[in-house]
Amino acid sequence: MPLLTEEIRELLRNRSVPKVIATRDENDDVYAVSAPFLQLGDNGLLVHLELLEKSETNRNLLRSLWYEKGIVISVGDFVIKGRPVKAHISGPVFRQYYLQVRTILPDADLSTVWLIEPDQVIDESYAVRKQQEEEQFPFSVHLDRLTIEADNKDL
Amino acid sequence: MSSIATGRAYTTTLEEVAVRYPDVPRLIILKTDVQRRGVFYSDAAVALLDERLHQTTGTHIFGSRDGVLTLRPESLLLRDGSSIITTPTPREENPYVVDLRDGTPWLFDQGIALEAVDYWPAPDFYSKTSSSGVPMKNIVSARPQRLNIFPYRYCTFWNNNKGCAFCDIVSQLKKGGKELNIPAKLDPAEVGEVIGEALKEPGRFSAVFLTSGSIISGTEAFDDEIDYYIQILQQVGKHFKARKFPSQIIGTAFTKKQLQRLYDQTGLMSYTADIEVLNEELFNQLCPGKAEWIGYREWKKRLVDAVDVFGPGRVNTGLVAGIELTKPHGFASEDEALQHTLDEAEDLARQGVGTTYIVWSPRPDTPLGDQKNASLDYYIRLARGLHALRVKYRLSINYDDYRHCGNHPDSDLSRLLTF
Repeated sequence: MPLLTEEIRELLRNRSVPKVIATRDENDDVYAVSAPFLQLGDNGLLVHLELLEKSETNRNLLRSLWYEKGIVISVGDFVIKGRPVKAHISGPVFRQYYLQVRTILPDADLSTVWLIEPDQVIDESYAVRKQQEEEQFPFSVHLDRLTIEADNKDL
Repeated sequence: MSSIATGRAYTTTLEEVAVRYPDVPRLIILKTDVQRRGVFYSDAAVALLDERLHQTTGTHIFGSRDGVLTLRPESLLLRDGSSIITTPTPREENPYVVDLRDGTPWLFDQGIALEAVDYWPAPDFYSKTSSSGVPMKNIVSARPQRLNIFPYRYCTFWNNNKGCAFCDIVSQLKKGGKELNIPAKLDPAEVGEVIGEALKEPGRFSAVFLTSGSIISGTEAFDDEIDYYIQILQQVGKHFKARKFPSQIIGTAFTKKQLQRLYDQTGLMSYTADIEVLNEELFNQLCPGKAEWIGYREWKKRLVDAVDVFGPGRVNTGLVAGIELTKPHGFASEDEALQHTLDEAEDLARQGVGTTYIVWSPRPDTPLGDQKNASLDYYIRLARGLHALRVKYRLSINYDDYRHCGNHPDSDLSRLLTF
């Protein structure tokens, strides 16, 4: 089964779905920003377009690639842990995305096309996580929810 | 420990250096070592070349370590977006090897695949010819993001055999002129025409770069060189909306009056004058033409003067790192060479002048051609030292970084800086 399910792929294709990329800076502090150009690339890789060369995220992604630090992406209810594996700054792949950015933002530039390899996908939807939590950590549940009357209570 | 005592330094492996300097990315160490040892392109790697897609060896102003002009990949891109400017090297000299793995090019050492690489992509204008019928790639060449103009492929310091001891510009000119039909001196209008064509390609180029051999003639020495640059840059500038455009020149160390003229009359935004080696005695020995016409101290003074014209962080000088260790005049140890070089670089940095280096690649047609360059350890320490000066004095190197040049391990380190 592919790491990125069709549901996730659809979320990545949908530009109206908010996406966030979180990286680490030189102090190992987390830096999270909106990633409106995050999308699905070829071969199961994610594509993140960094418009600005000196942005914190661009430098952090380079730091991740150089020193093998992970990054995190949030899309819909899913969290994707991964690693930047390649930075395109020239060539046909870069050109393709440069034109895409310029179509959407006519005065924009493009610094780097980052290819990100996903390592792990976590379903953070409440329904799924609630079920996991209640199964694995039964001592964390408040008892009033477990009483006979609980199902009849209208809160 | 597989170090080999050479009498002057230790030859250390990439892995040993990577462990010793964990702050330096392994990709930069690898790039540095590839530049240091050179590359050999396997037959399969050459066969993969497609001139419609890839840049092939072209209008080099300088030659290769194997002294051969033949069809090869121009250079390589690493997965962090930086370049390795490759110097093809005979296999018996133990270079890295570019060969195929699963149909794609990789760097190999001792048969072990180290890194996937890409060949530099061919720009659109490479397939076109100028209005006078010259292939455009023989007039202007390209790096992944830079347009290279080598307007004059001769250096007049060689008129009385006082060219730099590491430089093969004149022998390369003879080869390039005969075998590649490259004009020795470019027509400024034709350069402008090619630049105009190149700029049609979306998302490709972010700087224009000029360099040539020194031209000593003129009312004041080097006035003719300045005049020629002005003519070319004015032709280039016709294509831009603003008066200034991202650009760099590597020229002779000009007087302040000449620099002001160059700045005022063109769109030029940054200036480099390569001092080559940061030691007066070695400069005199290894760069006798520069010493004769300008001198070491005057060269440094002119670099500092240039900061008044171009601004801090827009002026730098280049070193051919490793020549400071050559016999018989060079430093006896790498420690001594490093200390001296960084002290001199700091003297420049505190006055607003940056320093970058290239790894010296001994070329066969040069007086130093039979000597060896420095150890990998030395080059990494030098990169760290120059980067640290850049941080200390807050000197930007954006105009000579991995995008615009790609030939300086020290400025690769500066990619993470905020300025």
